[in-house]
Amino acid sequence: MGKNDHAAIRAILAGDKEAYGALVERHSQSLFRVAFRITGNEADAEDVVQEAFLRGYRKLESFESRSNFGTWIYRIAVRCALDKIGGHAADETSRVAGADDPQLAEVQVADGAAGPDRLLLSGEIAAMQEIAMNSLTPTERTAFVLRHMEDCTTDEIAAALGIAPNAAKQAVFRAVQKLRRRLAPLKVKI
Amino acid sequence: MKHLTEEELIECFYSKNKAANSASRHLEHCVTCSEAYAALHGDLALVTRVEPPARDAAYGERVWRSIAPTLPAYEARQRSWLHAGVWRGLSYAAACAVLVAGAFIAGRVWEHKQIRTTAGANPTTIPQKAAPPQQRLVVVVLSDHLERSERLLVELKHADTGSEEMVTPLRDEARSLLAANRVCRQNAEKNDDPALAAALARLDHLLAEIANQQDGLNAAALTRLQNEMNSDNLLFEVRVLRSRIPDQQPAANNRPIRGTI
Repeated sequence: MGKNDHAAIRAILAGDKEAYGALVERHSQSLFRVAFRITGNEADAEDVVQEAFLRGYRKLESFESRSNFGTWIYRIAVRCALDKIGGHAADETSRVAGADDPQLAEVQVADGAAGPDRLLLSGEIAAMQEIAMNSLTPTERTAFVLRHMEDCTTDEIAAALGIAPNAAKQAVFRAVQKLRRRLAPLKVKI
Repeated sequence: MKHLTEEELIECFYSKNKAANSASRHLEHCVTCSEAYAALHGDLALVTRVEPPARDAAYGERVWRSIAPTLPAYEARQRSWLHAGVWRGLSYAAACAVLVAGAFIAGRVWEHKQIRTTAGANPTTIPQKAAPPQQRLVVVVLSDHLERSERLLVELKHADTGSEEMVTPLRDEARSLLAANRVCRQNAEKNDDPALAAALARLDHLLAEIANQQDGLNAAALTRLQNEMNSDNLLFEVRVLRSRIPDQQPAANNRPIRGTI
């Protein structure tokens, strides 16, 4: 796949624009997956995928042939997703403010998951998780998603976010602390 | 025993190689830390992996179709890059040419300035440079010249035709004085001093006569020269000129006279 990617990139730089189509088709799924995990929104994730491929095409001349195109475009997608959730920061702040009220949280859960007790609890967990995730800053959320859901190392997170490894580690640490505080009420119920 | 911090516990939780982790070894022996780790594990277990909605196999193709119209072909961009590269190269070349020309002009200006500075510090350099190499600068003090001329005339007056030792130095001295005499005469003419110029002209004629005697002074030639000197009252005239120099023109005539021969 790596050789195919490099051959496609050479063709693109030589003027064959259509060769980029193969790269897009090959890496769209993995980009959508990480974009959705970071944004938590299907429409936003699709926007992120398109934006990442557009940025990648424009920067293709700076792509080093020794690198892996998949890793390279993945990092671009993470940055795009970070920009996306950063742009929605105001909305998220209002949502998080509402989540501080336990009663409101209960109402939101009740609305989303009516049915048997177990299903209710499962829906409650998912809703609380979403609320907890929304309480994180864009960097913390992205770092946590990459660490907890994408199994990235600290160095990979740092490279994707364009920050120092120690800053990446601290972002994960702060995210975990916040999530534990948010999810503490659930432990009692379980 | 030092317990693990929450940060260390989190690091341990996400560590891929737990066996090699010192925190993991600590957890095996420390109940407090292992309980804290279990609590962390339980909390993070609640955060399930978000599974994104499935995309069908044509998703990639749809993404490509949506972005393809907005992408410019790289061929055109390469040409524009090449175009920009040519202009950039020309700009660099022009900048280098301006630098070289500037350095050349600055060098020329500096060189001229150096010559002028040197000339100002040593003004005699320019006349020496300007003069042809075969010419010599002769500085003559008029009073010294008249004194030497008087001495020669006295010797001529008392010269004995039979004595070769006496006549030969007389001729050499006349040759030596001849050049200086011409300079003094020209200077007198230039300074509008007809008396001095006339006396020096007669002295010049006599000195030339003595200097041009190739085979020594014979009796006839010596007598003729002595008569010539006496008829012109040349010795007397030279003495008068010498005597008036300190009184009339002390500064001007003792000043070195410059001339060329």
